[in-house]
Amino acid sequence: MSKERVIVVGGGLAGLAASVRIAEAGVPVDLFSMVPVKRSHSVCAQGGINACNEVARQQGYSEYQHFDETIYGGDYLADQHPVLEMANWAPRVIDLLDRMGVPFNRTSESNRDLRLFGGSLFKRTHFAGATTGQQLLYALDEQTRRYEAEGKVTKYEFWEFLWPVLEGEGDDRRCVGIVAQDMRTMQIRALRAGAVIMATGGCGLVFGKSTNSVICTGGAASRCYQAGAWYANAEMIQVHPTAIPGADKLRLMSESARGEGGRVWVPRKQGDTRKPTDIPEAERLYFLEEKYPAYGNLVPRDIASREIFDICVNQGMGVGGQNQVYLDLTHKDPEELDRKLGGIIEIYEKFVGDDPRKTPMRIFPGVHYSMGGMWTTYTEGAYHPDHAWGEHRPGDPTPVDTQAGRGMKHGATNNMMTNITGLYAFGEVNFAYHGATRLGANALLSCIFDGLFCGTSVVNYIQTAEPSHEPTTDIDQSVFDRVVAQEQSKADRLVATASDNPDPTDAAHNPYAIAKEMGDEMTAACTVVKAGPRMERCLAKLAQLRERYAGVRLADGAMWTNQTLSFARAVGDMLVLAEVIAQGSLARRESRGSHYRTDFPDRDDDNFMRTTVARHNPDGTHTLEFRPVRADLVRPRARTYGQKASDKKSPVTDREPASAT
Amino acid sequence: MPTTAYAHDSTAAWRRANRERALPGRTVILKIKRCDGPGKPARWESFKVPVEPGMNVIAALKHIAANPVTADATHTTPVVYDANCLEEVCGACTMVINGHARQSCSCLLDEYAPREGDTITLEPMSKFPVVRDLWVDRSRLFHALTRVKAWVPIDGTYDLGAGPKEDPASQQDRYGMSECMSCGCCLEACPQYTHEDDESKWDTSFVGAHAISQARLFNEHPTGKELKPDRLDELMTPGGVTDCGNAQNCVKACPKGIPLTESIAAIGRQVTLRAFARFFQGK
Amino acid sequence: MRDNAGLLHRHHLLLRRLHSLTGILPIGVFLIFHLTTNSSVLWGAINTRADAEGLARGVATFQHEVAWINNMPGLLLIEITLWVSIGFHSVLGVVYALSGKPNVRLYAYRDNWRYTMQRWTGYIGILFIFYHVATLRWGWSFLVPGGAQWSHHFAASTLADALRGSTTSITPAGVGVSLLYFVGVTSLVFHFANGLWTAAITWGLTVSEQAQKRWGAVCTALGAGLMLAGWSSVIGFLITDRDQARGIEERMLIEHYGEDRADQIITEHGHADADTDHNEQAMTETQD
Repeated sequence: MSKERVIVVGGGLAGLAASVRIAEAGVPVDLFSMVPVKRSHSVCAQGGINACNEVARQQGYSEYQHFDETIYGGDYLADQHPVLEMANWAPRVIDLLDRMGVPFNRTSESNRDLRLFGGSLFKRTHFAGATTGQQLLYALDEQTRRYEAEGKVTKYEFWEFLWPVLEGEGDDRRCVGIVAQDMRTMQIRALRAGAVIMATGGCGLVFGKSTNSVICTGGAASRCYQAGAWYANAEMIQVHPTAIPGADKLRLMSESARGEGGRVWVPRKQGDTRKPTDIPEAERLYFLEEKYPAYGNLVPRDIASREIFDICVNQGMGVGGQNQVYLDLTHKDPEELDRKLGGIIEIYEKFVGDDPRKTPMRIFPGVHYSMGGMWTTYTEGAYHPDHAWGEHRPGDPTPVDTQAGRGMKHGATNNMMTNITGLYAFGEVNFAYHGATRLGANALLSCIFDGLFCGTSVVNYIQTAEPSHEPTTDIDQSVFDRVVAQEQSKADRLVATASDNPDPTDAAHNPYAIAKEMGDEMTAACTVVKAGPRMERCLAKLAQLRERYAGVRLADGAMWTNQTLSFARAVGDMLVLAEVIAQGSLARRESRGSHYRTDFPDRDDDNFMRTTVARHNPDGTHTLEFRPVRADLVRPRARTYGQKASDKKSPVTDREPASAT
Repeated sequence: MPTTAYAHDSTAAWRRANRERALPGRTVILKIKRCDGPGKPARWESFKVPVEPGMNVIAALKHIAANPVTADATHTTPVVYDANCLEEVCGACTMVINGHARQSCSCLLDEYAPREGDTITLEPMSKFPVVRDLWVDRSRLFHALTRVKAWVPIDGTYDLGAGPKEDPASQQDRYGMSECMSCGCCLEACPQYTHEDDESKWDTSFVGAHAISQARLFNEHPTGKELKPDRLDELMTPGGVTDCGNAQNCVKACPKGIPLTESIAAIGRQVTLRAFARFFQGK
Repeated sequence: MRDNAGLLHRHHLLLRRLHSLTGILPIGVFLIFHLTTNSSVLWGAINTRADAEGLARGVATFQHEVAWINNMPGLLLIEITLWVSIGFHSVLGVVYALSGKPNVRLYAYRDNWRYTMQRWTGYIGILFIFYHVATLRWGWSFLVPGGAQWSHHFAASTLADALRGSTTSITPAGVGVSLLYFVGVTSLVFHFANGLWTAAITWGLTVSEQAQKRWGAVCTALGAGLMLAGWSSVIGFLITDRDQARGIEERMLIEHYGEDRADQIITEHGHADADTDHNEQAMTETQD
């Protein structure tokens, strides 16, 4: 076994895949998670995982087309080489998960069943009921437990990442460990590691209510950002078109509901008070199907979200005059629904009380995924065409095969490494694969692909790069103690505010109240539609909230399992991230993918086919820079999804989604 | 009249009826069993929470976090609880609500407290050590998964082609069992699963229905079957399947409807056959 | 395997499964025969071959059954096996039962009641069997109100004495004994029927929910039948005409052993009887 250890922060799909891969290579892993890893947010992923498969292949599909779709779906904002590698690896990822025992749905001939998903005309999404993320996570959790039993992985569950430990300056700077806190005992300690992998997921809680889990604050990414890591494309936030509004969160209603035939509609007559089942077919407006005949209800998420938003907010056609539209599955066979969508149907039944087999569901868009994230680099693979290719049509010969290393160089030590040597970012927390919109069922793929493919890079880094000749065990303890002291004083200061808190319900100083206001503001200003002046106001509001946050007071001064401390600390970090998101949104004066500006409704490739890279300054401000996108494989084309010419004009509004929260 | 619902009332029909008659704009009382940490005494605190449409217990706890004041106007600390997905798929937010173990995220106030002043009681799960308030340490539950080697022993993450083919019926069976989110409701309800703080006894105390069902899940997988003898040998020892008392509370408590009692019987059969095989064939 | 594993630990499964097995074989099977035999005091009334009239046919049938059992080869061996099994099943049963904590108050499901009842009926059953065997088999007549000694030669009449607390009428203490028998028999029958149902799960015979349901119906039917047999035994001995029974028993004794031997038995038993005077008087009357 290697003497150097690897720290993985986050136990979702990316973190677990990385842990398994690295432990398997003989490098011991310390796995940190705020929850038992089996409870990570990946369990919420429902629909499936994309990969080219034999059936689709014989219909003219290919890994290359999967790649092309992902680039097109992401509106040309993603660096293309890593995406090619991911698409090429997808079938291997499925095979591996299959071997691990994931109960993928099966056809009558015992083959893996497939479903249709957004952004593709081919069935290329593998699924396990409607809880695919859960099933994949469990498979990786089981493998991790196996290595844990063998002593190759050490779990630190209920530990919160606080800060990366960096050593050296300039080009010599590298990450040599982390400081973390036991959420039960409140002990803060530093751990050494040859490399640190951040696999901490998204930042949905910045928007208050989202489809994300309660730990998805983005706090860990924000801390790395404040410690010097770059943050890219922060403004690219995916709003999922179909979520169930709720008092505590927005619950995802998977795209697979539409993949299995679910139809989105509103009554043609505004304010129609009839029960949905009483409204005849002719009096229903299937607005997605009418506008996008080819893709229908399965246009990419940003488009569906904007259309629903437009119907409800601009046209006032929402069901019952409210911000909601019908997602209808009542025409489907109930037994088939149970088999393929049981999980999500149950969620709707449990949380809303209606039976989606009998009555259409009422849904509205909700913040879902962050395409942006920590900036990462990579080494390009072997495929370098003479010229960027145009649109790939089904059945066309592919310009490149699917061998490993075509897109990204397999094992290169910098794959998915941040700008800080030895600090990696895997999964949703990086910005690498999805550009300006993520296609449904590509998230699970990118997470596991990162863990497996780039896990090898981390092993190589440990064995051949800096840690091999400058072991972290030789580093002076003071390097670590310094960061522990910094975090200890931060925690102590926050806890101390509890002893001087005359009114814990006073919203001015209450961390929960501050977080709620931030969420409401971010949802109103930085989601489905954005506009310059509104975002200026948002930034002003955020500045105000940061001021208030400086005087935050806790209602709990305990030095044992103090959740208020953990949350209050994260609120500070979320505010930083919120600013980056808002500033990125303001600076990107175009519309691309999920980022839609009413004041700049068109895509502007000349100026903005670039990555927004934010750097944190010591004074707390942010420096934004636009870096060119590596787009030498596929030529940009208009992203219309076959929209009918008469409807070309995109929905435009300045209105805020009043009850979009 | 403000009342606390009895545990056996929490049937689907009862909840639906309540949802239909729930009054808008009411206030409910949350009566919460609190404890500052291991070895500290427990105490009860009540909170008045104004109800919003669709509100669940988690939303009520969030309200209390932002307004940590008890019903008798005393300042207190926010209630500590474990939660994550809030969609009833991660298992984190399990607690004892009106006497029954369940997820607090899917516990709607309309269903449990439809009238003005109705009370909902929240307690930590009783079978696990309390960390603080409603948060318990369920390490023993995960330890049980290690005990029964709940994994498929693959030859590593290399590219070795597809897994074994599987017919849809078998997939549906395995999927059903694989939905177990390790929440611990089956353990909380089980009279044979008793509180055990002493970690050294986790290898000999009852593993519980969830782990037995996971053993069955992996015994059914063509590759997972490799470890079937190990799993069955473990389940023959104290704390194994034989410690089940057939009260069958587990299957009723399971929020995912996993056929736990069938799994227990199936493992009972496998253990019987293995014991005979060992006796007559000498291993 | 763990190094520190003790005997109990190493043979955990064997002990558990033997516990389950002994409950059925021999204990459960014995219970079936025992209750069938005892209830013959009632159902024997339809036995037209019995040498008596009306309800008294039951007494004759019962006495006939008892005599047959007492003449079985290897009876002592059977008895020892039974006692060892009951002892083994009881001791382990208590140990196992104490490992759980019933929670019917919170989880008031029918199956959970079954689980809890299985433990309580087990405890009651142990106490009852001890009393039953001690008083009727080992002759601890000081525990019997009225001090009756059961004899297999006078099976029905002495049993009636023991249950009633007196040879003449039902005393308050006798009502207590009868109630004890009623509760004891009820408990044991429930314990057996339910045990038979759970054994099928334990051994893995009934896996699916439907199979468990079907087997549950079988066990319920068996339990109901045994329950009827048990109750009718207790009632049967309570309503038996004690003196008439004694007459039938003595007549059967004479038929079986001849007059000399029978007289000897009658005298022996008569002298040992607490209620000597009355019994002797009764004997004389019947002999006449």
